[in-house]
Amino acid sequence: MIFLDNAGTTKMFEECAETYSFYACQEYYNPSAATRKSAKISAEINDVRSLILKKLGTMEGTVIFTGGATESNNLAIKGAIRGGDYEYVFSSGEHPSVLNVAKSLQMQGKTVHFVKLQKNGQIDPEDLKSKLNQKTRLISCMFVSNETGAINDIKELSKLRDKLAPNALLHIDAVQGFMKIPFSVEDFKVDMLTFSAHKFHGPKGVGGLYVRKLNYIKNIVDGGGQEYGLRSGTENVPGIMALRTAIEKIDVRKNYENVQSLKQKFNEIISKESGIKILDFQGSLYIESLVFTGVKGETMLHALEEKNVIVGLGSACSSKKAGNRVLSEIGIDKNDIISSCRVSFNAYQTLDEIEKAADIIIKVYNDIRKRVS
Amino acid sequence: MKKVLFIKFGELFLKGKNKKEFERLLLENIKRKLSSFSFNLEQVVGRIIIFDYDEMEENLIIQNLTTVFGLIGVSKAIEVASNFDEISDFISKIEIDGTFRVNVKRADKNFPLTSVELERKLGEVVLNHNKNAKVDLHNPEHNINVEVRFNNETFIYYETIKCDGGLPLGSGGRALLLLSGGIDSPVAGYLMAKRGLKIEAVHFHSYPYTSEQAKEKVITLAKELSKYCDEIKLHVVSFTKIQEQIHMNCDSEYMITIMRRIMMRIAEKICEQNELGAIITGESLGQVASQTMQSINVTNSVVTLPVFRPLIAFDKEDIVEIAKKIGTFETSILPYEDCCTVFLPKHPVIKPTIKKAVCQEKFLQIDDLIREALNTKEEIIIRR
Repeated sequence: MIFLDNAGTTKMFEECAETYSFYACQEYYNPSAATRKSAKISAEINDVRSLILKKLGTMEGTVIFTGGATESNNLAIKGAIRGGDYEYVFSSGEHPSVLNVAKSLQMQGKTVHFVKLQKNGQIDPEDLKSKLNQKTRLISCMFVSNETGAINDIKELSKLRDKLAPNALLHIDAVQGFMKIPFSVEDFKVDMLTFSAHKFHGPKGVGGLYVRKLNYIKNIVDGGGQEYGLRSGTENVPGIMALRTAIEKIDVRKNYENVQSLKQKFNEIISKESGIKILDFQGSLYIESLVFTGVKGETMLHALEEKNVIVGLGSACSSKKAGNRVLSEIGIDKNDIISSCRVSFNAYQTLDEIEKAADIIIKVYNDIRKRVS
Repeated sequence: MKKVLFIKFGELFLKGKNKKEFERLLLENIKRKLSSFSFNLEQVVGRIIIFDYDEMEENLIIQNLTTVFGLIGVSKAIEVASNFDEISDFISKIEIDGTFRVNVKRADKNFPLTSVELERKLGEVVLNHNKNAKVDLHNPEHNINVEVRFNNETFIYYETIKCDGGLPLGSGGRALLLLSGGIDSPVAGYLMAKRGLKIEAVHFHSYPYTSEQAKEKVITLAKELSKYCDEIKLHVVSFTKIQEQIHMNCDSEYMITIMRRIMMRIAEKICEQNELGAIITGESLGQVASQTMQSINVTNSVVTLPVFRPLIAFDKEDIVEIAKKIGTFETSILPYEDCCTVFLPKHPVIKPTIKKAVCQEKFLQIDDLIREALNTKEEIIIRR
């Protein structure tokens, strides 16, 4: 099987499974207990925090481990809410774990603004400018879109924040960026950042939130006070340690180069078939969309699965709903949206594999088009 | 024209003949701090220039530099040749909206214009190119700084990011910090390191009366400190037997006094073994019973090395403020017992005397206890 839905999830490294099992079955101690064994585990968790800070390119702040990106996004946004006359700004291309939190803030009577996307999938800076002011408390925006792969210019965004909304915290959802694309938190000057392990070959059910200062947010779950009181509940030690293994194994820059050649090869073959359009937003090399003229995207997905090629339909978290919200937001033709699939690579795939997948996609497309026309 | 980081350093010029050695140490410290980055470094008179670095890492490099003692500021700057045309060409491209002032420093007195003349001319250039710019010499929104240095190099920058100041780490020798796990001792270590002392640390541990977490907490604190102090050798001394012996044989009123006297003796021995020239403690006058003037006299009397107490006149709030700044506060307040709290007497003596302390100690085999503690000592090298 050739898996081309790596923006949805990735195959976990075998080494992560070994680490997971070691910390689940042998070093299974609760890090909060008073024993020496527990103290050691707790120290190891802190080492993983330091490792992540290093990878994020900062000396300041810390990492709160969570149950994944959805929880991190909830903690970042709900944790930052304060009483009083504040305003909250979100991009309209966000993942449901941000968008639906934003909507629920709206229901609670908070002032919430959504910023439009441009045709290239990036957040519209002019629209953003008009929505920032002294009362802005939080700006939450994706680094890399999970749907289009478009990369937002976070550096520019943070400059706008400094200028127009100096009281605002800047949170980015970097799920499709962390350990995939070279960047640095200090270069971006963001205050909070969400990441998730299973998007870069780590285990599911573990992720984190980077916070520059602990007092930026309040806890949203009460309990034993783990993770600096911001995320109570016994730490997912095997998950966190397996996450470490994945991070240690990955060379971000090298991977990015590998993916570049994979994508090049893939597009070279696909572009030979005039019926398939490549929607490339000049963003992340890991993600792109294909439009199969005259065939429904979902039909293609099922037919390709028959031939052992797995593609995606936008966010798996929202793909069950009709249409694609983000693609229509940036003005893609409705028919094109219905005919689109998302293709996403991982750095450990081979050129042969990708070539083979591209050939199958063209073959399946021609086959179905003949049958439906 | 190239992008550089423009670094200013502090008190070194006061050092007369030792200045060269201080500068050498400072450069070495900078290079070690930035060892994971690729960059080039050049020393010009009175300044240090860093260039050829990955722009994405610029802010992280600056963040690292702010923890190098001896530096007073870093600026993101542009380097141009020292002639009016090149300087004004760059200045003319700056977009200014609001009030500004141009500040010129002219180290190279061969430059044909004086500082004031150059300031005026460059101010004119800005005004000619920006409709909404206005000069304000007293409280400008934008500062444009121009430093005309030697060797035909001129640096232009807007703001300076403040560094910690102090003296280069290691320039004052090496000393031993008594690191308890509380709020004060890491701050004391930081302050003395800032005055140029390279730090080693000693922690007294009373397992099983205190937990492994208490020790891990001290390791974490040392890690935080090593952000400023480079590598730290942490000596972990088991204090269990000594405490038990004091508890069994001495007057409970004098428990803490005797404990601290023994800690000081052990500290001095570690200093001897490791060629360290002073002991550093986080004591603050009157904070607790063992930190009264009389108590300090009694504990101090067992050692001959100088004991530095940088926090002696600090209020708690001021100490907390520094602890928050250097990032040790969050760890310090974790609720693990340290060895001072386990056998804590209800009423420790506030005004002990040396005579009584000596008398109490007669019941202990002090030399044997100290020897054993030193023999079982654990050494941990801590790096960030």
